[in-house]
Amino acid sequence: MTQELFELNMAISNMKDLVASDLSPYDAVYLGNLYCRDYEANFLEKLDDLRAGIRHCREAGCKVYLTTYAAPRNYFLPQIRKAIAVATEEGVDAVEAHNLGVVRILRNEFPALSIHIGGFANVYTDMGALVLRDYGGTRVTPNYELSLEEIEGMAHSTSLPLEILVHGKMPLGISDYCFLLEYEKAWGMQCPDLCQQDLFLRQGDWAMKSTGKGVLSGRDVCMLEYLPRLVAGGFRFFRIEAISEDPAYRRDIGMVYREALEQAFSGVYEIREAWWQKIQAHAKVGLCNGFYFGQSGQLYIGSQPPAVSHQLRVIS
Amino acid sequence: MQAAKAGLDAGADAIYVGLKGWSRGGARGELTPRELEQVLVLARQKGAAVQLALNTIPRGREIDYLLERLPELKRWGITGVILNDPGILAYIHRCFPELPLTASIGCGALNVDDVALLEEIGASCIVLPGTVHPAEIAEMRPYVKAQIEVMIHMVDEFHQLGKCWMPSYFRTNPSPMPEMPADGERLTGSIKRGGAGVCFKVCQHPWGLYLNGQKKEERMLPARQVSRAPEVGAYLDAGVDVIKLQGRSLPPELIFPMVRRFRMAIDQVREGRQVLEVPPFELPPSWVVVGR
Repeated sequence: MTQELFELNMAISNMKDLVASDLSPYDAVYLGNLYCRDYEANFLEKLDDLRAGIRHCREAGCKVYLTTYAAPRNYFLPQIRKAIAVATEEGVDAVEAHNLGVVRILRNEFPALSIHIGGFANVYTDMGALVLRDYGGTRVTPNYELSLEEIEGMAHSTSLPLEILVHGKMPLGISDYCFLLEYEKAWGMQCPDLCQQDLFLRQGDWAMKSTGKGVLSGRDVCMLEYLPRLVAGGFRFFRIEAISEDPAYRRDIGMVYREALEQAFSGVYEIREAWWQKIQAHAKVGLCNGFYFGQSGQLYIGSQPPAVSHQLRVIS
Repeated sequence: MQAAKAGLDAGADAIYVGLKGWSRGGARGELTPRELEQVLVLARQKGAAVQLALNTIPRGREIDYLLERLPELKRWGITGVILNDPGILAYIHRCFPELPLTASIGCGALNVDDVALLEEIGASCIVLPGTVHPAEIAEMRPYVKAQIEVMIHMVDEFHQLGKCWMPSYFRTNPSPMPEMPADGERLTGSIKRGGAGVCFKVCQHPWGLYLNGQKKEERMLPARQVSRAPEVGAYLDAGVDVIKLQGRSLPPELIFPMVRRFRMAIDQVREGRQVLEVPPFELPPSWVVVGR
C-alpha cells in the first residue's frame, strides 16, 4: 500500500552500475549520466544498453525514467533525440530535462512523453515552474538553492508535483571542462576511469566531491529527521542522489529511506539508531541539510543523535 | 557612473546598468535611481541605449515591487531589461509586451532549442557565452528571429554561468536589499540571488585534490579569460547581432580600453578589413581570479 503513497528514486549512469545495484528499495530509477558524454558506457550514448536497462528496471518492478544532459550544445542534440526515441519505444515512464532546449524538443517531437524538469533547469520561481508546465512539464525538481519554505510555496501556488532531494551529495554545478583529464599521465589513469575514483576537493573542513565536469557537495544532504514535515507538506517524490556512489550506498541508504518514509506515511515516526549508523557509515565527510532551511548548504540543522554528532556542525 | 561613462566614451552602442539591489554585479557596482537618470542623460547625448540589468532572481514580494517600478523606469528612457529567470521574463513580457527583454547568460542558453524557447516566451534577445563558437551560432540563426548576443569577452569560470551554487554551499550572507521598502533580501553568496561580484569565488580558493584519500596536489579550479576580438568578424558573419563585453566590476580605467578594442574590431569588420590592428587586452591576473 505504501508503494502508492510515495516514490523513492535515484539515478544510475550505466548498465554495469545498474546490474550491480539492488533496486528493491526504490520505486523508480533515472537512467543516464547528465554530466558527461564520455562517462563510461553512459546510457545516453549506449542505446542498446539503454533498452536493456529499461527492461531490467521493469523486471525489478521499478518505474524507469531517462535523464538527459544538463548543458547540451547543438551537437549533443541528435544523440539526445536518439536516446529519447529509444526510451519512447521501450515505454519509459518519463524523461527528465535539465535544459530548456530539451524541454522544447520533448514537447514538440515527443508529445506523449511525461517531462520531469530536473534540478539543473534552474527553476527558482513559481513563474519559472509555470512556464515549464506550459511546455509539458509534469514534475519539477526546484533548484537546490531554494529553501523548504520556498519549495512549499511553489508546490502550493503551482499545484505541480515537486521532486526533492532527501539524501546524497547535492550537485553544485556543471562545467564544460573536465580538469581530471590533466592527470591522465601523472596518475596513469585514463578517461573514463578517472572520474569514477574517490575524488574530493578539500580545504580545511570544507570538502566537495569531484566527478570531473561536476562538483557535488562533500557532505551528504540528509533529511531523515525531517521526513514527517515533508510528508505533511504534501511531497510525494523523493530522490536519493547516488549517481557517484557505489552499490552498497544505493542499497543501504535506499533501505533506510524506504523504511523511514513508510513510517513517516504511517503517521508514527521514530528514527532508528540503525538508520543513523548506516548513514554515518556512508557519509565520508558528514551531513548537511542543503539549502532547505535558508542557510548555507553545508550546514546541518537539527537534533541528531550522538551516533553522528562528531561529524555535524550543530547550529540549533 | 564612471564605468558607464568610460564604456560610452569608448564607443559602446549600449550599456547594461544595475539598479541598486537588482543586478548580479553586487552592491558596489549598482546605481541609485538618481544615478540611473544621469546615465540615461549621458547615453542620450552619445546616441547609446541603456538597458536595465535585473538579473538577480527576485522572490515573491520583490517581484511585485519590481513590476511596480518598471513603468516608471520605462518613462525614464530605459530601452530594455535583461533578466536571469525565464519565468520572470515570460511574466514581464505578458505585462509589458512592447518592452524589449534580453535573456541573460544566466538563463543558460547553449543550443538552438534553448534559444528558440526563450524567444517563444518573450525574449527579444538571447545572450550566449563566448565559449559557443560561430559555427554553432550559425546553426541557430535560421531558427530564431530574436537578436543573438554573444559575450565574447568574459571570464570562463569552471562552472558554467548560471549553473553554479558552490559559493552558497559554503556561506551565505543575507542582507537587506537596497531600495526595497519591505523585506527584500539579497543573498550574497548566491550567484543567482544577488552579488556575483561577491560570490566568495570558491572556485578560486586553493583546494587539495584527494584521490582515494591521498592528497595529490593543491590547485584551483580552472578559469580563463575569453577575449575573442580577432573573431568578431566570424561571429558577425554567423548572425550575431550584439557583441557583449563582461564589464561589471571592472574599474573605469579597464573598461575604456576593453570597449575601445572591440569597437575597433567591429569597425574594421564593417569596413571590410581584417581584424589585425586590435591592441591586445589582458586583464591583470588579480581581476581574472579575485577582483571581480
